[in-house]
Amino acid sequence: MSLKYSILVLISLGCMGFYTIELKLFDYPEYFPVPEYNFDENPLEEAKVELGRALFYDPILSKDNTISCASCHSPYNAFAHTDHDLSHGINDEIGTRNAPALFNLAWQKSFMWDGAINHLDVQALAPISHPAEMGESIANVVNKLQNSALYRKMFFEAYGDSLATGEYTLKALSQFQLTLVSSNSKYDKVKVGKDSFTVQEQAGYTLFIKNCNSCHTEPLFSNYSFANNGLSIDTTLNDYGKWGISKQSKDSLLFKIPSLRNLSYTYPYMHDGRFKKLNEVLKHYTTGISHSKTIAKELKRPIILSSNDKVDLIAFLLTLNDKDFVFDPKNKFPRDILMSSEGFKK
Amino acid sequence: MTKTQVHTNLMKSLATSIGLCLALLYNTLDLTAQQQISFVPKLYNQPIIVGHKYFLEQQKDSVQIDKLQFYIANIYFYLDATEVHEVAQKHFLIDIENTSSLELNCNLEEGINYNKIKFDLGIDSTTNVSGAMGGDLDPTNGMYWTWQSGYINFKLEGSSPLCPARKNEFQFHIGGYQAPYNPLQTIELALTKGNLSIDVNIEQLLDQVDLTQTYKIMSPNAEAVATSQLFLQLFQQSK
Ligand code: HEC
Ligand code: HEC
Repeated sequence: MSLKYSILVLISLGCMGFYTIELKLFDYPEYFPVPEYNFDENPLEEAKVELGRALFYDPILSKDNTISCASCHSPYNAFAHTDHDLSHGINDEIGTRNAPALFNLAWQKSFMWDGAINHLDVQALAPISHPAEMGESIANVVNKLQNSALYRKMFFEAYGDSLATGEYTLKALSQFQLTLVSSNSKYDKVKVGKDSFTVQEQAGYTLFIKNCNSCHTEPLFSNYSFANNGLSIDTTLNDYGKWGISKQSKDSLLFKIPSLRNLSYTYPYMHDGRFKKLNEVLKHYTTGISHSKTIAKELKRPIILSSNDKVDLIAFLLTLNDKDFVFDPKNKFPRDILMSSEGFKK
Repeated sequence: MTKTQVHTNLMKSLATSIGLCLALLYNTLDLTAQQQISFVPKLYNQPIIVGHKYFLEQQKDSVQIDKLQFYIANIYFYLDATEVHEVAQKHFLIDIENTSSLELNCNLEEGINYNKIKFDLGIDSTTNVSGAMGGDLDPTNGMYWTWQSGYINFKLEGSSPLCPARKNEFQFHIGGYQAPYNPLQTIELALTKGNLSIDVNIEQLLDQVDLTQTYKIMSPNAEAVATSQLFLQLFQQSK
């Protein structure tokens, strides 16, 4: 075997190893678009994902060590929160928005209901610092992590350096969240020919394509842009969405279009959690639209759905529930790590 | 020993010798490099001491500086009109309370009298949308907004009896990157006699804003952009 040849073999073996690891940590069906997230800047690795998972579930990220990311983003709710319409943080402070579900984040261009955050890596700074959420500072979080034997070990395994930094803490949180891919609903199985829709679901699918798909675009069930879908303003909150960030009148009442996957797990619905049931959502789209200046052009004329149509449409929406994702053990609380002698529940 | 192992060993020793050569080369280069520039924050020609009181000559009242941090980025040196040196480190966080941060290692060649320097005051938009970064750009430095993405380019905090705010405090956090509110400024300074010390004359800012009206800028907006225009006058080669 020549030197050249063996180098070639070594390189290709290396690539194959890399390829299989990538497949296991982050995988998606071929009918999904190319992700937005730049994985070259933060290549997924097992130890980093694991660190991110521990951080996500660890209340060490909050000021009084009581609130973790999972307090508001529960795995059993597709990482949304269902007890409250508005989120609850430290000292039982109430936030102003409903905690969104977290999945398929690698395809999102911007984050939060108003798009205030431009990159997944820096998203966690918002809840960590928010006085009504975790009430902490990233500098202090890093300090606490540097003083924890558990995290010195985990950072060493992930980054070859036992000292946490802000960059690594945030990137590890991204790593875990990027692995939250929902692509195994009945809809997905139909897509790859492993299942088929009932007559009712098929009728609902047709109605969906006609009335909803321009915003809640398949297969992610969102185009992740912003729209005013005609919700009347809640005068106790006065939330004008994207306008609050851009201060431009064209953005008034525009909110990020959420994915419609996993709706059975993510109620209540909308940025302020005003609807508890899908029936109420359909009632909104058919007879409840509030016509303000920035209303989306698709919603200017009323959407007409008979009561049968509504039943069909809901039947279709339920095919977007992804039980495999919601109950995937790899996404759950890392009991073995956080309940260990070095973890927070020691 | 299998053939692959032989090859791995061969490659290992090859790599070690290349590494050694590079290290030697780097050391010799290092002897001529290492020249730095320094920033000296001043009020009316006096180096600023944090917590010390100064008199504002225009507004006729006292002022105290508690915090001064800013980013200097993309530094280029010129000989006549030609760019001859680009500083390898792209972003430097200057912090008045961290004296070593006032000296910027530019790896300049000795014996050259550069006659112009150009740099950005702040962080460009590409860097602003590139996620979490380390070193001087690490969000633990307190120069990254949390509720809305974006770096703070320039942070000045202090107090003056002129400010009607709580405890007479003023806070200028000038940053962001999205049009139309991008306050990034590019500064060009003539350099003479190889003097690489640059004054940061804070009175150029404090004399120009009316502290009775403008004392709190905390997000990207029109006021932040207007204030950032004053940064163009802030820097001057030390006398
Ligand atoms: C107190 C409840 C609470 C906590 C704790 C919390 N979040 Fe959230 N999260 C929210 C709310 C509410 C929003 C929507 C905020 C908005 O739109 O302004 C949100 C939004 C998000 C988003 C954006 C999702 C999207 O589709 O745009 C991500 C990602 C996220 N959170 C991750 C995290 C991480 C990581 C942590 C822990 C560091 C965390 N959250 C802690 C309530 C919380
Ligand atoms: C013009 C774009 C647009 C169209 C068309 C549209 N939606 Fe929406 N949808 C949105 C936006 C924007 C939101 C978030 C609004 C908010 O919370 O302020 C939303 C929210 C939802 C939610 C809540 C999801 C959650 O997690 O909170 C559901 C359910 C929903 N839409 C279903 C539908 C259905 C069904 C149709 C078709 C009948 C439809 N939408 C048509 C833009 C649209």
